[in-house]
This record gives sequence, structure tokens and C-alpha cells, in this order.
Amino acid sequence: MSIHPDGYDLLKTAIKLSSSSLPIETKLETMLRSITDGFQSDRSLHLPPEAISKEGFLSRVAERRKPLWVDETAPFQEEGVLPEERNLLCSSFACIPLSDETSFQGIFYIGFSKARTFSSGEVDLLRLLAKEIGAAIRNDQLHRVAEETISEWTALHEMGKAVASTLKLEELFELILNTGRKILKAKGGVLRIEEAGTGDLKVKSRIGDYHQTPLDERMAHRVYFSRTPFSLSRKGREKSFLSLLCVPLISKDRSFGTLAFYDKESDPSRFDQRDLQLLLTMANQMSCAIDNAMTHHEISVMAQDHEKNVRQLSTLMELNRALLTTVNFERIVHVTLTAITIGDGLGFNRAMLFLVNDKDRVLEGTMAVGPNSAEEAGEVWSAFSQRKGNPSELIAQIGSSTENHSVLNSLVKGIQIPLEHEQCILSRTVLEGRPFNIGVPHDEEEWLQTRCERGCHLGSEVGCYVSEHLSRDPKIYAFATIPLWGKGKVIGVILVDNLYNRNPITEEDIRYLTMFSNQAGLAIENAMLYRNLEEVHRELKEAQSFLVHQEKMAALGELSTSVAHEIRNPLVSIGGFARRLDRTLPADASEKRYAQTIVKEVKRLEKILSHILTYTHEEPVALKELDLREVMEESLSMISEGLRNGGIQFTKDFSEKVPRVKGDYYQLKQAFFNLISNAYESMNGKGRLSVRIHPLLKNGSSFVRVEVEDTGAGIDPESLHHIFNPFYTTKDDRLGLGLSIVHKTVAFHQGQIEVNNHPGKGVTFLLTLPAQEEKQR
Amino acid sequence: MMKILVVDDEESIRLLYKEELEEDGFVVELAKDGLEALKQVPLFRPDLITLDIKMPGLNGIETLKRIREMERRVPIVMCSAYGEYKQDLTTWASDAYVVKCADLTELKNTIRRLLRLL
Repeated sequence: MSIHPDGYDLLKTAIKLSSSSLPIETKLETMLRSITDGFQSDRSLHLPPEAISKEGFLSRVAERRKPLWVDETAPFQEEGVLPEERNLLCSSFACIPLSDETSFQGIFYIGFSKARTFSSGEVDLLRLLAKEIGAAIRNDQLHRVAEETISEWTALHEMGKAVASTLKLEELFELILNTGRKILKAKGGVLRIEEAGTGDLKVKSRIGDYHQTPLDERMAHRVYFSRTPFSLSRKGREKSFLSLLCVPLISKDRSFGTLAFYDKESDPSRFDQRDLQLLLTMANQMSCAIDNAMTHHEISVMAQDHEKNVRQLSTLMELNRALLTTVNFERIVHVTLTAITIGDGLGFNRAMLFLVNDKDRVLEGTMAVGPNSAEEAGEVWSAFSQRKGNPSELIAQIGSSTENHSVLNSLVKGIQIPLEHEQCILSRTVLEGRPFNIGVPHDEEEWLQTRCERGCHLGSEVGCYVSEHLSRDPKIYAFATIPLWGKGKVIGVILVDNLYNRNPITEEDIRYLTMFSNQAGLAIENAMLYRNLEEVHRELKEAQSFLVHQEKMAALGELSTSVAHEIRNPLVSIGGFARRLDRTLPADASEKRYAQTIVKEVKRLEKILSHILTYTHEEPVALKELDLREVMEESLSMISEGLRNGGIQFTKDFSEKVPRVKGDYYQLKQAFFNLISNAYESMNGKGRLSVRIHPLLKNGSSFVRVEVEDTGAGIDPESLHHIFNPFYTTKDDRLGLGLSIVHKTVAFHQGQIEVNNHPGKGVTFLLTLPAQEEKQR
Repeated sequence: MMKILVVDDEESIRLLYKEELEEDGFVVELAKDGLEALKQVPLFRPDLITLDIKMPGLNGIETLKRIREMERRVPIVMCSAYGEYKQDLTTWASDAYVVKCADLTELKNTIRRLLRLL
């Protein structure tokens, strides 16, 4: 066998190919084909390192770094040939390892089916060719590594730049994961950061697929605590490789999270040491940035909180200022509820107030503020957004301009819930003195738990109403209640909801509402006290004027008594002698008429005197249990003749059961008589006279109400103040003691008298007399 | 003939009572105050006395007590412009109480009743 005459050409071709810019695969293929052709061999191959199995003869060739020549002169003597290596064994072949001092690129193989011998020229040529193949592979590898490294460093550089440009955590996390995945060619990645306080790791950001398994969590914790990187490559059950890289994030010598990547995109998926190094570099670089961004985030959250607190406090101050503008109870309540519902205030959709009635142990709906429907809510909110001014000014405008006639308000005003009704959230809020934030129930059972026995979510008509008219399904109705504190006790409950915009009610909202309602509670309590004070003040004033009146009457009584007595004696003689004259004068004497006139006038004077003396209470008093209906019947009988004739229509309306009254029969009879006869006379013989007697319950006490109504001229408003004064009369021929006797009698019986006066239409006198306590107790 | 002593500080009243009662057939003697009445009682020995309450010097109530000390049985009719003492009638041991009135019918009826003339 001679040396191939084209050895030179072959080498030239190989070198040309090796230094060309063709892809390595094409290079190798072309080189091997030209070698096969040039040597007229059966085949020539490049066996890469990964194709060389351990223990085979090839591995030994690789280990020895020495070519193996098999030909007629040197038969194959190697032992331990692996099955896959058998097809390489033929009559003559050569295996030349491709290696330099540091690296190994596989084995160049050339085989001949015909037996032959390798000449020394051929050996040299093949060695040279092998070297060229090895160089080509090495160059390509170096080139690839260099390119990769450049692109990695470019990516890292880019990432560094980008990281420095943002302080937004979310963006930063996303950027890190994106770049990391690109550099490592991973299928997915996860970034975990410790939770402040608990120290638990929490997934903050992720990309692509990752193994969401407990094992993965454990692994992340191990890395986080041990601050040691971790890499894993193992065959999964489905024969696909599971591989991951996880490194700790450390800043200022403190581990605060982990960064992990999963499954290389290449096949087989296996991260190498280089990847780990890269990731570590990246993690080191990123940790500081993340830590800074986190600190920045914390600070900005704190700043936001701070700003929010300041805003809330200034709103509270504004609202409090609005509360301070008045002591009027209705207005304070209205201002409070409005403040809770306007956007610049606390921003709830609706607010309702229920106040505790201590006496009856019930919660009473007091007022509600809120739109009736979603449409109305929209209108109100858009109207509000156009108004300018701070909350206290806005509230001042509303409070005075709009009357609260909403459906909700009238509904709430009708609600009474017994405090003992413990299943009702409203009652519980009072009894337990704490807020309840009832979110939308998660399941049927929870819904049943918060529901009252009447089937209402709230335990009152509010919830029922909501379910029926507004929400259809009370199960989706969320609301909150908070107690309204006065000085040391709960005076009521505020109920809020976001029925229309469905914003969830947060604990923060409740806290804020509590802060406000603590102020409002005191204001409302003060207004209530003030209202009571006003009431008491009015009563005192009334009592005072009553006493003054009594005093006047007493003085007047004394005076008139003595005057009456002084007058009586002369009257007796005037009248007595006039009678004598009348008797002695002949019937036709004109003096007889004079005498008769004197007798008549003296009679009248004596009657007036006895009236005065009755008024000044000359007669003894006898208190007995009386049925006022009987007394009234007696008074009516005194005037019944007058009632019967003429055009006066008379109606009588007495309740079947009227409690007895302890009183003086004669005084009361006289008083009733005076009222009836006044009414009778005021109508000038035409009209309707009604007398009514009914039981009456007021403030838990029992009374009897006597009403005498006429359709006469009524009382001139200017005279109204004087009608109970003795001697005041509008009737020329009367002394005017009638009503003052009524007044005196009612006062003596600790009753009250009211006048409903309609000048020109008539007048009604309403007497309220305390009933005798029932004996069964 | 029944004798009546009228005690009153008002002269016109005394005159009226005297004429009216004499017309009715009584013998009438007058006293203008309590002291005069106390002198008259043992002398005149009346069958009935009408006694005013408000009088100067000895008032009707004191007079009543003194008369009762010497004459237990004689009927006495208190005759006053005041109505408020009426309830004390029995305490004072008078027999009747009549509020003064121009119409003497009530007084006359009372007198007749007490003297069992009715």
C-alpha cells in the first residue's frame, strides 16, 4: 500500500476547513468525508467524549492519550470490548485521541474492511489530520465559551444597569428572574423573600415553571438558613431530569431570601458548575439592590401610612369641628352620619344610628343617612366630587339644606330591637361594647351563624329590608357595627355598609370609624344631655310661672275674701229691706218694681260673692276615688236643658274602661260644668259640642284625659294668656271666674290643662288627670 | 210668744232681723256686741239666739262659749258672712250655722226648726 498521493491536498483541505467560518458540524462532516475519500477507507468518525463509554477499549485509548493502530503488522489485542464498540472492530483501523495538555475532544477513528498496514507516512498524515480536527473542535468550543461569556456578562451588565434604575420591588423581581432565566437557559425561576416579623419565606415573584412541592420549600429554607448554595440534578419519575439551582440572597451579612432556577432548556437538563457560579455572581450583585429596594419600599409604605394618618387625623379634626358647630341633637346626629358617608369623610355608602333606650332596654333606630338606590348613590357622589371645600364646610352645607326624608331613614326610625335579643349583631355590639365586621359569609354554615332567629342577617328589619329591596340575597350583604361610647357606657350603635360600591370593609376602616365615633359619641351624649337640660329648664320655667300664678291667686284670694265679707253684710240689709218693701207695697205701686230690681240685683251680687268665695277655696275638700265619667254626667245634667233646645249638636265619647281618679267631687263637677257652659255659650246656640273621656298612658304612668271641644268662636290669641286669670272675661255680663276655677281645680288634682285654640273655628280644652294606682299590685 | 235675741254689730242687720222676725210673731230683743248679749241673756231669757261671728270686742265664738257657761240649753244660730267656719259648728256647740243672705228664708226655717215650730 502506497502513501496516498494527495496527502498534501488533504491537509490543505483540512486546514482550510478548520479555519473557515462554517459551523463546526459542517466542518467535521466535510473533513471526515474528504479523509474517507482520500484514504479510500470505509469510514472515518469523530467520537465525542460523551459518546465514549467507560471501561471500553476506547476509554483506555482516551486515558493513554496515545493512538491505537490496528493492521496486519499489529493485530487488535485489547480486552474488554463493549458491545457498542464491536462495530468499530474491523481488519484495520486507527483510533487517535484528540487532546492537548488540558483538554480532550474525543477520538478520531478511521476503519478499513480490507486488511492493510499503515505506512509511516500515512500515520503521520493521519496524526496531522487528527490534530487539525482536534484544533477545529477546540477552537469552536473556545469560541462558543467566549461568546457565551460575553453574552452573559452583557446580560449581567444590563441587569445591573436596569436594577440600578428602578426601586420598584415588583419590577426588580421580574427583571432579576427574566435575566436569570435567559442567562441560565432555565425553564422557570422563583424568588423568595423572608416575611418581616415571622421570618417565613414567601414567594415574591416567579417565572415559567417551577416545582411547587414541599421538597422545594424545604430546600429553599435550607438554603436560606444555611446560607449555602444548593444544586440538584436527578432523574424524575417520568424519566425527565429534575434539576435546580438555589442560592441565598445575602446583604449586609444577613440572609433575607433565596433565588432559584429550574430545569435547563437544553437536553439533558443539567446545571453545571459554571451555571452555579453565574447565579452566585448574579445573586451577589442583586442582593444589595433588592435589599435597598426593600428598604425603600418599607420607607415609602411607612411614608404612605404616615401621610394617610395625617390625612385621617385632619379629616377627623374637620369632622369634629363640624360636630362642634351645634348642640342640637338632631343636627349632631345628622352631621355624624353624614361625615361617615361622604367621600371626604369616612366614605361608607350608608350609615345608621341606633340609640339605647335605657328605660325600656331597647335599641331605637334614630336616623339613617345614605342613598336609596345605586343610581341615587352615583348622583350624590358625582355631585359631591364637584363641590369644593373641606369636610366641615361640606357638612355644614348639607346639614342645613337637606331634610332627611329618605326611605331608609323612615325605615330605620321604625326599628326597635330588644337589647336582650342576643342573636342580633346590633344588640351584641352594645352588650359586648366592641365592633363587628361582618363580611360576606363564606359558606352556608357561617351565614346561619350570623343570622338571627327571624331569618335576618342582622337580626333586625334592616337586613330583611336590604335583602328584600336592595340586595336580593342577604347572603352577600356585608356590613360592620361599632359601639357608640358616651362617658363610660355604650349609648348606641352605628351600622355602616358599602351596599352600592361593594368595597370591602377593612379593619383599618373600622379603626378609623371607631376613632371618629368616639368623638361623635361624646357629642351626641352631650346633645342629649343638653336636650334634657332644655326640657328641664322649660319645665322649671313653667313651674315657676305656675307658682307665680298661684302666689298671685293666693294674694288675690285673701283680698277678695275680706272684701266679699265686708260687702256681704250691707247686701243682706239692702236685699232684706228691699224684700220687705216689695212685700208691703201694693201690687200697682211703681215703687214695687224698684224694690224688685234691688232684690234681683242683690241676688246677683250674692251669687258673685259665693263664686269668689268658692274660688278662694272656702269649701272643705273631700278626696275620694271618682269615676270621671260619672262626674261629667252630673255636670252635663246641670246644663242638659240648655243642650236640648237650640241648634247645638252634642256628642259624648267615653271609653269603656277608664281608671279612677282621686279627687274632690264638687270641685271637679264645678270645673267640668264651667268648661261645658263656656263651650255652650261660645257657640251662640249653633254648633257642635263634643265631650270625650279616655285613659292615657304617658311615660309609663296612667292618666285620664278629659276633652271638651266646641265649634264656637275660639279664643282671641291675644287673650289666650289671660284666660286662666280670675276676673278675666270677654263676656260682658260675667265675672270670668269660670276658667280660673277649672285651672285651679286641675292644678289641685296635679293634672295638666292644654288648650287647642283655633280662632274662628273652635277650641278644645284637654285635661289630663293622674289616675289612681291600680290596687292589684 | 217665743223670744229671740239678735246679736249683730251692724245696726241695719239688727233692724232687718227685728222687723222680719216680729212680723213672724216673735218677741225680739237686740244686742250690738258680745258683752251686751251676755248682759241680756239672764234678763231677757231668750228662747233662741242668733249670733254674728265677726264683732268688735267679744267676737261671736267667745260669746258663744260664755253664753253656754250660763245657759246650756238655749238654741244658738251662728249667723255670719263667712262660710268657712261652717264645719266647726259642732265644736263650737252652736245648733246651726247660716251664711248671711238677703233672702232670710233659710234663717227663718232654721229658727222654726230649732223651736220645733215646723
